[in-house]
Amino acid sequence: MLQAETLQLLCLTASSGVPLFSRGSSKQLPFSVIGSLNGVHMFGAGHGAQLSSCETDRGSRVVWGVFQDSLMLIAVSGSGGSSISQLQLRRLLENVWNCMVLVLGQDELSSIRNVERLKRELRSCYRLIDMLLERVNDEEGFMGDLTQCTDCLLPSHSGLLLQEAVDSFAQATESEFGCLLLNGRVARATEKWWSRLTPQEVVVLSVLVRSLADASSCDYPVFLPKGSPTVAIRLLSFQLLPGVHVCVLCGPKPSLHNASELISRFWSTLVENLRTCLEQAKRSSLPPSVSLRWDVQALLLINCDSRRALTVCPRVRVGAPAEDTPPLISTARRLELLRLFYVFAVTRYFTSQESTASDFAQGFTHVPVQCYLVTDECKCFGLQSPQHQLFLLMDPSVPTFALRTVATQTLSAITSATGF
Amino acid sequence: MSVPPGSIIVSDWHRCPDSREFFSKILHKKRRRKFGLLEAPMMPPQMNVDLVRYKVFLSGKTGVGKSALAARLAGLDLPKMHYETTGIETTVVFWPVRLKESGRVLFFRFELWDCGESAMRRFDHMLLSCKEKVDAILFLFSFTDRGSFDDLTNQISRITEPSDRVVKLVVGTKFDLFMHTDVTESDVTHFQEVWGLPVFRVGGDVSAGLGEVAPLLNALAENLWHQDCMAASSVSISPQAALRETSSEIIV
Repeated sequence: MLQAETLQLLCLTASSGVPLFSRGSSKQLPFSVIGSLNGVHMFGAGHGAQLSSCETDRGSRVVWGVFQDSLMLIAVSGSGGSSISQLQLRRLLENVWNCMVLVLGQDELSSIRNVERLKRELRSCYRLIDMLLERVNDEEGFMGDLTQCTDCLLPSHSGLLLQEAVDSFAQATESEFGCLLLNGRVARATEKWWSRLTPQEVVVLSVLVRSLADASSCDYPVFLPKGSPTVAIRLLSFQLLPGVHVCVLCGPKPSLHNASELISRFWSTLVENLRTCLEQAKRSSLPPSVSLRWDVQALLLINCDSRRALTVCPRVRVGAPAEDTPPLISTARRLELLRLFYVFAVTRYFTSQESTASDFAQGFTHVPVQCYLVTDECKCFGLQSPQHQLFLLMDPSVPTFALRTVATQTLSAITSATGF
Repeated sequence: MSVPPGSIIVSDWHRCPDSREFFSKILHKKRRRKFGLLEAPMMPPQMNVDLVRYKVFLSGKTGVGKSALAARLAGLDLPKMHYETTGIETTVVFWPVRLKESGRVLFFRFELWDCGESAMRRFDHMLLSCKEKVDAILFLFSFTDRGSFDDLTNQISRITEPSDRVVKLVVGTKFDLFMHTDVTESDVTHFQEVWGLPVFRVGGDVSAGLGEVAPLLNALAENLWHQDCMAASSVSISPQAALRETSSEIIV
C-alpha cells in the first residue's frame, strides 16, 4: 500500500474549476497546485487542445478527464517505488466517474445547480472511490478495474445446479439480472447479466457489492452508467455464506423483506455445494481439474467475446522438482507485475481494444498476436487470438524460446477443460 | 411501556457457567462468528432450543453511528472510516437467552436494518421497506451531538404511530467521549420521564465483548418476547402461535 499513499484524486467543476473533493493521499495537494492543474488544462482547452496527461522528470504522472462537460477528474500519482501507468490512471478516472453515476445518477452530476449541495451528495461516493484507489495496487487479483472485464471464477462442479438456482432466484424476484459472487468474483450469472450490462457496469457493481461484504442483505438504489443513468433501479444483495453473495437488479418490487424470504427456498439445498465452491475459490479461480505447470508464476486470461477474465496467482508450487526450486515471489508483487505486463502489452502490441493506441503501435503493418518481455524477476509472454488474450508470467529459468509453446499449451489446457 | 430488565429473562446470563455451551455457538476463536443467511447456530435436537426471528430498525440522524452500532452488536470490526450508508443494509445478530420462569433457552435472531438518512430522503420506498413488518425500532442519538438528541422526538413521531405494536428503545452512542458530551444526564432523565422509553448507552471505539452488548440485546429480547406473549394471550388460545419460530427452515 505504499504506492497508494502517493496516489491522489481530485474532482473539480469543469466550467469554473471549483474543487469538489480530494481523495487518496493523506497529504493534500495545496490549493495553488490544484489551481495550476486546472489552469493548464483550461489553457489548452482555450486553444483547442485537449490536455490528456503529463509526466514529470521524477516519475510523477498527472491524468485529466472531463466528463459530461460537467466535472473534471484529475489523477496524480507521486514518484513512489513503482510508477502507476497512464492507462491505469485513465481507467481509474473512468471507473470513478462510473461509480459516481452509479450512486448519484447522471442528472445529479451533469447539471450542477448548486455546488455546495453537490459537494454534500458526492460524499456518498467516497466509499467506492476509496476502494477504487486502493485497488490500483490490488493484492487479491482483481483486475476488472484495469481490464474492464468481469473478474470471474469457474466452479469445479455444481456449475449447472448453481446456474439453475441463480436463474430461478432472479426470476422469483421479478428480475432478469442476477449473479452469484464467490469472494467477489462472478461464478454464475443470468444471461441478461452478461448480455445487457456493460463490463464497466459489472465492474462498478462488483465494487459496490464488495463494499457491502459484511452486510447480511442490502437494498441499494443504483443508476447504471450505460443502461439506466437517469432512473434508479435497485440492487439487492444477500450474503448466503460469508464470502458468497447472490445479487439481483430489480425494479420497484419485490421489497427487500419479501425477497429475503425467498433465500431459504432457493438456496438452502445448495449450502454444501456453495461451501465446496468457496474452498476452491480460496485456492484458485480455476477448477482443480486444470493443472498448470509448476513454474507458472501468474496469469491473466481474457475472453474477448464475453469480456470475462480469470486471474490465477498460485499460492504454492504444485509438482515442482524437489531440488533447486526458487521460492515464489510475493503474491502482491506478482500481481503488480501481471498488471504492468498487461499495460505494456495492450498499449504497444494488442492495441485493437484500446482507443488510445500509442505511436509505437501505429508503426506496425500487421496486427501483433504475441509478445514477450524478459525481466530479472520473471519472463512474460502475451498471446492474442480473436477470442482470447493470455498474459503469462513464468520463472526466469524457463528458456525464452520455450515461452510460446508453454503459453499455447496453457491456453489450450484452460479452454479445453473449462470452455472459458 | 417497557419491561423491567431481568423480569422475564435471566440478565447477565452470559456470565453464568451454564450459558457457555450456548454462547460458544456464536463465538469462533474468541471472536463473534459470522453467519450467512443460510446459517444459524445449531444445538443438539434433544435440547429443544428454538430460534425466534425479529426485525429491528435502527433510526437516527446521519453520523450518530447506526452502522457502527450494528457492527458492534454483531461483533464485527468497526468501520475504520465513516462512510455514509447510501442504501439499506441489514445485519443479523444471534443471541441466546434463558427465560426465567421456565428455564427454557431461546436463540433470538435479530435482523438489524440500517438505512442512510440521505437515501431515505431521496427514495420514498426506503422508509416503507424498513418499516415493513418491523418488530422493534432503536432510536439512536449521539451524546456528542445535541442536534441528534433533540431530533429524537421528530424521529419517533415521523416513524411510528401511537397504535403501532412495536418495541421502542433509545440508544445513546459515543458515550465514552464524555469530554465532548453535549447531552447531560438530566436531559436523558427528563426524556425518559416524558416518553417512557428506556435509554441505553454504548461507547464508541472499543471492540465490544459480550458484556458490552448484553444489556441492549437482552432488553430487546425481553421486550420483544413480552410483546409476543401479550399478543398471543389477546388472541386467546390459537393453535398457530404468534411466535414465528422458524428453526426448521435453517440448515447448517
